[in-house]
Amino acid sequence: MEKEGYNWKVQLTFVFTGVLVGMLVTAQFKSAIPASSYPYDEYKIQQDLLKSYNDDQAVLKNKILNLRKNIDDKQKQTGASVQKNNLDVLEQIKQEIGLESTKGDGITITLNDSPFSQRANNEGSDQFLVQAADLRDVVNLVFSAQADAVSINDQRVIASTPISSVGNTILVNNTHVLPPFNISVIGDKDLLNQRLNDPTALPDLEKRAKGQKIEYSFQPQTNLVIPIYSGDFPLKYVQAANEPQS
Amino acid sequence: MKYKVKYRDLTIIITGILLGFLVVLQARSFSNIQNITRDSQANVFQEIQILKTTNENLADEITNLENQLSKASNQEQALNSIQDEIQKDKIIAGQVDIAGPGIELTVKNELAGIWFTDIENELWAAGAEAVSVNDIRLTNTTAGFDTLPNGQISLNGVILTAPYHFDAIGDKKTMTEALGQTAGIIQRIKGSVPNVDIAVDPKDLIQMQKVL
Repeated sequence: MEKEGYNWKVQLTFVFTGVLVGMLVTAQFKSAIPASSYPYDEYKIQQDLLKSYNDDQAVLKNKILNLRKNIDDKQKQTGASVQKNNLDVLEQIKQEIGLESTKGDGITITLNDSPFSQRANNEGSDQFLVQAADLRDVVNLVFSAQADAVSINDQRVIASTPISSVGNTILVNNTHVLPPFNISVIGDKDLLNQRLNDPTALPDLEKRAKGQKIEYSFQPQTNLVIPIYSGDFPLKYVQAANEPQS
Repeated sequence: MKYKVKYRDLTIIITGILLGFLVVLQARSFSNIQNITRDSQANVFQEIQILKTTNENLADEITNLENQLSKASNQEQALNSIQDEIQKDKIIAGQVDIAGPGIELTVKNELAGIWFTDIENELWAAGAEAVSVNDIRLTNTTAGFDTLPNGQISLNGVILTAPYHFDAIGDKKTMTEALGQTAGIIQRIKGSVPNVDIAVDPKDLIQMQKVL
């Protein structure tokens, strides 16, 4: 009897050892091999390049904002009396497409990663990080609640704003934004509040917030200011339908 | 007491190794499924490419704005400049009918609301200049898909029904490649929605009506 008990324990040890070896071997074979012999050097070059492009982008966007302001000032100075109707029409359309800053009452929504999660060290999708999809869902919800103007961390969000992720980096208007994500919305406070309080509106976000995987809150605000859109409007392919096609 | 390894023990340890192998493979496949659900896993090189293209587009915009400023500074050209800008902004605002080359993405099955948001996002990210869904232009005043309690999707107060047509005006080659790339939106939808019938069709001419 004693010998059988001993065999049973030894065999169990074999099973555990076998499973462990199998897992280690598989994990080893499935690990990604660094593309460079000098991974740190390569990483630093990539980060320097990204920083350079981001710095350039900030300069370019600033220049666009200044040019739009100068054009606006010139248009108001140049023959404003004879062009009053045109200028009024232009101002109204600019307001609609995000080329004017907007002030008003609304709501602010804050999304943040779990304090126990590190964005830089995680790869891919993570329940403890705010995802680009979360931001898209919130923006979609507030637009469907007839928001007048929306921004994420001072990036004006318009209908054509892409909100994407590259690894764990989130891009809004192809510009890096970092957590915490502050979404400002100008619109009907009561309607926005009602939609955000609907537990079926953002089910995944609600679930993760209740499970304390991410931080999610919102509150009504007065006198919010949402900045002007600082990106481009490329119209290389689209034409008014009554114009001849090139 | 010395234990003698038997044939049966070897079988057990080999089975154990195999089991460990399968456990890791399964765990990784679950992890991959989670990763492909909503957002693509672009790498740093794609990030650099996105930023490079964005900066090139911003530089083009600066050239256009400098021309516009020059015209606005000239008394004779100022009125035309304002009218040109009104016309351009009306296109962006969806206040005029438009046309141009592009693509039509068609989904014949029912689709959850999140995928409408994600498809629209992918189209803008791929350089679409105008987008419509079942003939409704997406602008600042119409954006926002609403999922009704019965699961139907509504846009700008209109209930959308399958088949869903996403029209986009822009560079049809770039957009077709972006949507169809590995781990792109089409592959992600196919991986998440069983038996989905989804197709992209490049078109020489797409017409969109103004927002009513």
